[in-house]
Amino acid sequence: MTDATETQVAADGDTRQGRAPFFLRLVRQPSGAIGLLIVAVLVVMAIFADQIAPYSPIKMAAGKPLTGPSADHLLGTDEFGRDMFSRIVYGSRLTMQIGLIAVGISLSIGTLIGLVAAYAGGFIEKLLMRSTDVVFSFTETLIALAFVAVLGPSLENAMIAVGIAGVPFYARTCYASALGEEGKPYFEASIAAGAGHGRLLFLHLLPNVVPTMIVIATLGLSNAILAAAALSFLGLGAQPPTPEWGAMLSAGRDFFNRAPWLMLYPGLAIALTVLAFNILGDALREALDPKSRERS
Amino acid sequence: MLRFLGQRAAMGLLTIFVTTIAVTLLIHLVPGDPVEIMYAQSQGTTPEQLEAMRSKLGLDQPIPVQYVQYIGRLLEGDLGVTIRGQQPVAQLLMQRLPNTLALAALAMLIATLIGVPLGFLAAYKRGTVLDGLLMVTAIAGISIPHFWLGLLLLFWLAVDLGLLPVAGSGPLNIVLPALTLGLSNAAIVARMTRSAMIDVMSQDFIRTAHAKGLSKGKVLRRHVLRAGLVPVVTVMGLQFTFMMGGAIVVENIFAWNGIGRLALEAIFQRDYPVIQGFILVFATTVVVVMLALDAVYALLDPRIRRS
Amino acid sequence: MSMRTRLTSALLALAASTAIPATASAGDIVWARYGDIDSLDPHRATSTLSLQVWSLIYDTLLATDKDGKPVPNLAKSWESNEEGTEYTFMLHEGAVCHDGTPLDANDVKYTVDQAFDEENPSVTKASWGPISAVEVVDPTTVKFTLEKPFVALIPFLADSFSSIICDSNEGKDGFGTSVAIGSGPWKFDSWTKGDQIVLEKNPDYENYGKLADNPGAPYEDRLLITTVPEPQARLAGLKTGAIDVAEPPLDDVAMLKESGDLDIVTAENTGQNVFFEFAVHRPPFDDERARKAVAHATDPEAAISLIYGDLSMPEQCPISRGVFGNDQEFCAEHRPRYDPEKATELLGELGYGPDNPLEVNLLVWTGGKRDKLAEVFQAQLMQVGITADIQMMDIGTMNARVRQENENPEGKGSMDMMTWSWYDPDILYALWHSPGAYRGYTSPELDAMLEETRVLTDPDERRKAVEEVMAYLLEKAIHVPLYTPGWEWVFAVRPEVEGFKVAPFVYPIFSDVKIADEG
Repeated sequence: MTDATETQVAADGDTRQGRAPFFLRLVRQPSGAIGLLIVAVLVVMAIFADQIAPYSPIKMAAGKPLTGPSADHLLGTDEFGRDMFSRIVYGSRLTMQIGLIAVGISLSIGTLIGLVAAYAGGFIEKLLMRSTDVVFSFTETLIALAFVAVLGPSLENAMIAVGIAGVPFYARTCYASALGEEGKPYFEASIAAGAGHGRLLFLHLLPNVVPTMIVIATLGLSNAILAAAALSFLGLGAQPPTPEWGAMLSAGRDFFNRAPWLMLYPGLAIALTVLAFNILGDALREALDPKSRERS
Repeated sequence: MLRFLGQRAAMGLLTIFVTTIAVTLLIHLVPGDPVEIMYAQSQGTTPEQLEAMRSKLGLDQPIPVQYVQYIGRLLEGDLGVTIRGQQPVAQLLMQRLPNTLALAALAMLIATLIGVPLGFLAAYKRGTVLDGLLMVTAIAGISIPHFWLGLLLLFWLAVDLGLLPVAGSGPLNIVLPALTLGLSNAAIVARMTRSAMIDVMSQDFIRTAHAKGLSKGKVLRRHVLRAGLVPVVTVMGLQFTFMMGGAIVVENIFAWNGIGRLALEAIFQRDYPVIQGFILVFATTVVVVMLALDAVYALLDPRIRRS
Repeated sequence: MSMRTRLTSALLALAASTAIPATASAGDIVWARYGDIDSLDPHRATSTLSLQVWSLIYDTLLATDKDGKPVPNLAKSWESNEEGTEYTFMLHEGAVCHDGTPLDANDVKYTVDQAFDEENPSVTKASWGPISAVEVVDPTTVKFTLEKPFVALIPFLADSFSSIICDSNEGKDGFGTSVAIGSGPWKFDSWTKGDQIVLEKNPDYENYGKLADNPGAPYEDRLLITTVPEPQARLAGLKTGAIDVAEPPLDDVAMLKESGDLDIVTAENTGQNVFFEFAVHRPPFDDERARKAVAHATDPEAAISLIYGDLSMPEQCPISRGVFGNDQEFCAEHRPRYDPEKATELLGELGYGPDNPLEVNLLVWTGGKRDKLAEVFQAQLMQVGITADIQMMDIGTMNARVRQENENPEGKGSMDMMTWSWYDPDILYALWHSPGAYRGYTSPELDAMLEETRVLTDPDERRKAVEEVMAYLLEKAIHVPLYTPGWEWVFAVRPEVEGFKVAPFVYPIFSDVKIADEG
């Protein structure tokens, strides 16, 4: 769960003139550099999983079952003799997919609702934002559970569930940010100049909420990855033999006595990934809005 | 103040109203015939029996009629019976709701006791190494999956060291799940408290107090803490919903007998009456608790109290 | 400030107010299981978890001996007419229900009438057979009239599915939830769903035929049946002594046996049968060759030894060891054996090969390491070019899903690892006689063969008929048996717990249990 109060402050991302380029500002912060580095490693792992992983993630008897870390099997093997390192590497691909798809769903629907509500005003605004408030009060976990209950357990459904559950938060943030834009002189000037709805919405409002939404989405990735892993851990997500980290962690607890690494590495992998997106998100926010440094 | 609370109450009622509609529709969104799923355990069911059950549940009626019937039963406290074993759903949920509330409350207490002082300290020492250290710890804390933390605590404290009971519902059994949930949320509380306190400290009346020459300690006690209570209550409100959500997962790790465990079992067994009841009870609980916190908030915040 | 303190103390009070249930004391046996019962009403559920508890609270007309054969129990004897359409049971005098009322023919009639209740029939109504009337001849004599012969009635009456419900339960609010009056060795005290069931010993119990050495009341005072889903948590409880009897983590059994810290008891003659079956009304499994390819491609023996070690064993027959008609050699001759080359060949005939792999869903019941076993089968199937997507689900969901798959004429191929436990070959009738439990494979000749198995009263003739059915099912790869036992059959027992044993069809017996004093 991202903390709502903080992310909403990072709204205004304009007036950049006279400062160092954005990317430099980002990596100059130690947290930004570290976050970016870990994320880069994860992305490389995910893209080149076929080249990096020494074994197929589902190949049984790649080594002897339940052996500890060794030169042949960097992270040991599981009860079928599958190579844990390969499973973790392929797991990063799944994790990225889950995060991107879930956040993609939240982001696209949420931004649309937020923009339209802020722009349309009146009844539509009330209707959209009140509904969002209502759905928001259900909490993400409940929404995700309800969706999986209806759709049935599977990795795809878990992604959709987590994505849908995130919509209200993105809608609210986008709405707040867009409202701020509408008050600015340039926007009023555009209206006076007779700009059409489409132009106002997509050429003026949208680009100006993008910085905020990028921050939200980066932090949201960590949130989505954590939520989907929790669903898989409970058995409501990935099905065997998918090397999904949450599911691997869940399967590993049977062997806690004899092979603690089966539970340790998937947990570490999730924690590290979530951490990377969290600090990257924080750093992004600071780079976009140095004023927020004081507050967070 | 009454107007503020009235608005909040209306919002809460609206939420519950929407929930009842969602819950009625839920069973129609399920792929396949819910009545056939109900009878999957029975042998030799005749089509007549299926029809009878369909009309008993009102599933042969138009959806609006079903909704009215559902509300009617609801007002009598009837949430239907489980598919597996035909147990009354309302009773099952009410038996377990106190367990979930106790878990969420204790976890919130732990998170507050750890998070608020640390967040306050970080705000007070803002910009120092200590602040940096605390915030790095906090962000690491946020990133640790609570189900992983829970398992590690379970295996370490209960299975290996035998310090705490592993499962069940004795008084000591709440310690591990509450600790897991509390610890994993303490970091969020610390971060939120810090930013709230920084806001408060930068407000004019605090600066004035300093300028008047009041000692640092006096300013803290008289003004900062008092004003800081408002955001802390806000934080607690937000925390409570997280806690309720987190409880669903944590209950299942530690076999804590709350509504979250009941719900997960029901999802696996496709026991729709239980799932429906769970959603309704969960949403209502969140609404009621948030409303209570709003009332506290209104009492504390002079601006709302006066309005 | 005071507001905060008040809030804090309110939260503390809330935390302290949760119900604290009964905790174990001396004289209590604590039995931990992964899940809970569905109902205390024997007409409302079918799970092993429920049946095991009913067998403690309720008694049955007949009981089983250690080989699974029906023997007298509440009924000291029985007789049937020539045609097998009338059964008369002579009951023991003096049997008493837990509320003190006598258990007689009226209670038997009450139980059967409830099973056939128009409004709310038993979920096992079909297994009671074609009973048309139950007559109370006198308090100790009860007569069942059947529309046609039904030889499986006798073994049914020995199983806890047919638990005798005392008629004093009638009209009791909460029967099945908070009330359960039986006449078994243990009296129902309380049930907190999801947590624990508390049973007290029935001091007036008289054992007429149940498989226990103890002729009367249990030795220990109470039996606490608790739910502990996490296997490692059960093991920890067993080690500390908080739990007396429980299913251990299956992976740790070898280690436990070696260390000798806990005794391991495995149930025999469980009647449990785990098998592959298929959605047969659409490609590819409408073709016998596709089903056979799966059977030839999988090696249950290797898979089971990898996952279960020596805790389970391959089963050749559609009905498992301990059930009338089971014959390993006979079935082994008729079933498709492990032969990957043959599988590849059959798949080739159907047009599947390396460039065109056969893709199917494999539905599996969660728990008991069945997910792991399915992964091994998945890998074996992969070897011959069958891609099986595993889908884990609860058994109830799976029952519904398998039926849906059979009713759906289109879609991806579907097979499942089904699990059934029964005390009589009549299970084959329930599964495969049209319309079929899951609307799966049926044929007129199979129907005719199955009908024979229901009416032949001569054991030898019936055995022949059962064999004929089994051969048919195996040769056409309709029912591909994998292994037995399959679920909840391993028990770890604290060393000071003496006398614990498990009756056929996985009914644990606690009447003989004595807990020795720990010094």
